[in-house]
Amino acid sequence: MATATVAAAPAVRTEKAPGIKPRGWIGFLFIAPNLLGVIAFTLIPLISVVVLAFTDWNLVSGLGGITFNGIDNFVAIARDPGFWHAIGLTLVYVVVSVPLTVVGGLALGIALNRPLPGRAVLRAIFFLPYIVNVVAIGMTWLMLMNPRAGLVNQVLDAFGIQPGWFASSHWALPALIVMAIWGGVGYCSLIYLSALQDAPRQLYEAADIDGASVWAKFRVITWPSLLPTTIFLLVTLIIGASQGFGLIALITAGGPGDSTTTISYYMYQTGFQFYRFGYASAIGLVTFVGVLVLTLLTWRAQRGRALNE
Amino acid sequence: MGAGLAAAVVPGCAAGGGGRSGALQVWGGVPAASGPGDVVKAFREKFPQYDVNYTRFVNDDRGNLKLDTALQGGVDIDVYFTYSQGAMALRAGSGLAADLTDRVSNDPDLKVFLDTEQPRSYIDNGKVKALATAREPFFVLFNEKLRQQAGVDLPHAWTIDEFRSTAKQLTTNKTVGAYTVPDIARIALGPNYWYDGNRSNFGDPHFEQGFRVGREMIAAGTAFPWTEVLARHLDAYQQNSFLTEEFHLWSTAPFNLRYLYDAKKYPHDFKVAFAPSPTVDGKDWNGGSYSNFIMINPESPKFEAAWAFVKFWLTEGATPMLKGGKLPALGGVTDDQVITGMLGKEPDKYFDMDSFRRVVLEADPKLATDTRLTGFPEITLAVKQQRDLCWLGEKDPGAAIREVRRLADAAIARNERRP
Repeated sequence: MATATVAAAPAVRTEKAPGIKPRGWIGFLFIAPNLLGVIAFTLIPLISVVVLAFTDWNLVSGLGGITFNGIDNFVAIARDPGFWHAIGLTLVYVVVSVPLTVVGGLALGIALNRPLPGRAVLRAIFFLPYIVNVVAIGMTWLMLMNPRAGLVNQVLDAFGIQPGWFASSHWALPALIVMAIWGGVGYCSLIYLSALQDAPRQLYEAADIDGASVWAKFRVITWPSLLPTTIFLLVTLIIGASQGFGLIALITAGGPGDSTTTISYYMYQTGFQFYRFGYASAIGLVTFVGVLVLTLLTWRAQRGRALNE
Repeated sequence: MGAGLAAAVVPGCAAGGGGRSGALQVWGGVPAASGPGDVVKAFREKFPQYDVNYTRFVNDDRGNLKLDTALQGGVDIDVYFTYSQGAMALRAGSGLAADLTDRVSNDPDLKVFLDTEQPRSYIDNGKVKALATAREPFFVLFNEKLRQQAGVDLPHAWTIDEFRSTAKQLTTNKTVGAYTVPDIARIALGPNYWYDGNRSNFGDPHFEQGFRVGREMIAAGTAFPWTEVLARHLDAYQQNSFLTEEFHLWSTAPFNLRYLYDAKKYPHDFKVAFAPSPTVDGKDWNGGSYSNFIMINPESPKFEAAWAFVKFWLTEGATPMLKGGKLPALGGVTDDQVITGMLGKEPDKYFDMDSFRRVVLEADPKLATDTRLTGFPEITLAVKQQRDLCWLGEKDPGAAIREVRRLADAAIARNERRP
């Protein structure tokens, strides 16, 4: 019986309705609008950047002005102090802001997972920075961090410190990092919240019966169950932070001096202010490879460590 | 007329497509309502056979990129404006500007554009590619009320040292003497002051002097604190601090006069007096220049109409641009037109007219327009970045200018290697 059923199945699948011929290309018609968009606005620009990375081109000279120069751009990148300075700043920005954002988000997520009064409102408030327009965020922080009249320094004045924030080459990057953490913690906490609610309750119950401490439960149950979420957040935040541009363009324009010229802003300067589009494309390509490697390393680091694997 | 003209000057109406229309397409950075709309209107009255569309692009990085891609992409543009010297070099050097040499050479009205001492045109390899439509001299504005309170004489001629001591006299515990120091190196060295042969000219001591004087004035409280300038993004909004009497000496150009006669938008209760730019060691180049360059797209199929428009703007049509503070590069306007155009309806109420006549109408300052532009955007950025560090008090003026020199030399060398 069973054999007959299994044998009959393929015959049913391949049977065609009378008068209807399958046409594969019809499927493409349905996805054509999206497909065209992806080709025009993602695929072609992506390929263009790769090709332009091997050229000297200033855009204004038109397609006829493209000169292929082999690996010259990459050799120049290796010798460019501005590039390495920007990479250094970007690494500091990523290495400081991403872990603190994740830790802050985790702490907030755990706190908001408790039965607090007004919990829904609190969640919405902490999530707000993630959805507010970048210009509004920039203007608000610009006022808050004004060295003389800003609220932040008025509070800090009580402790005898008066950072120059965006008007200081020493404080501008820390100020941007503070803003990045402020903007990302709410988002992380929300992602963590949903993960916490999926945590295996039976394990907690078993741990309670065994008399495990709060720390022991966090270390052995909570953290491993949150590991995939953490890795997801790390990857997305690393990618986001390495592409950070809006607030820098809005508030510091890479300065004072070049103290906030991260790699994204350096790429913008090179392309759109100096009109060195070939070189800017090469910087983009190198950065892409760097972020890809960093992402893969982060991804591989968690393999086999999650609770559900 | 109304509907037709409205359509003609609506920003953006010419953009897109790429197809050629019958109308002359003009792209500029000044809003149509601030003068270009009236220029177009006057042109169409004189040349009814030509229709004109004026499209405004915002004169910033993104706006200029839009213009460049439009020019490259074959969008219907016949005439366009260039405001920055960096963009000028790129556009003229990349075949985006028609050669106007013959037209200029054969027209007695325009011969002045061949002057290379105080250039009013951009000449690329001996070919005239762009013509300045505006003259933008610098001057120093005084808050007249506070000047009189302080008992300071209004200078008719002065040096940078006298500027500095005047700023000190005007400084009180509530107000700062000057916004900032005028560009000392520009006053001393004139056009192309960043270049010396195949290298940069930042070894000239006037550059370090400029950084040092600015820093010392800020430290002494006689120039505006640079932390405030950066934290409040004041460079683009200097007029607000002048109008609210945060500082009293303001080295600026005619385009900022529009804030000083509009009492509804910018209320203030003091008159403004004019002094000429200070001099340095007997050198007297003005910080201002000939600017707002008009160019014709070499791909334009309407060259005759385009040239008619360019010539009209240069020789007789630019009077409406006075309201935006643009003095016509070739003159051609009466003193009364300048006064009513640039100083509003009640000039006596907001300005000291004697000093305005002396400094703006009767003077003929030496205007320096740069024509050597190798690595110009990179050098501009290097100067700004190092000046900021120096004036924030984070870097010694000598070290800052040495860094500018290093970066500028590298930029010049790199750009001269490029094809």
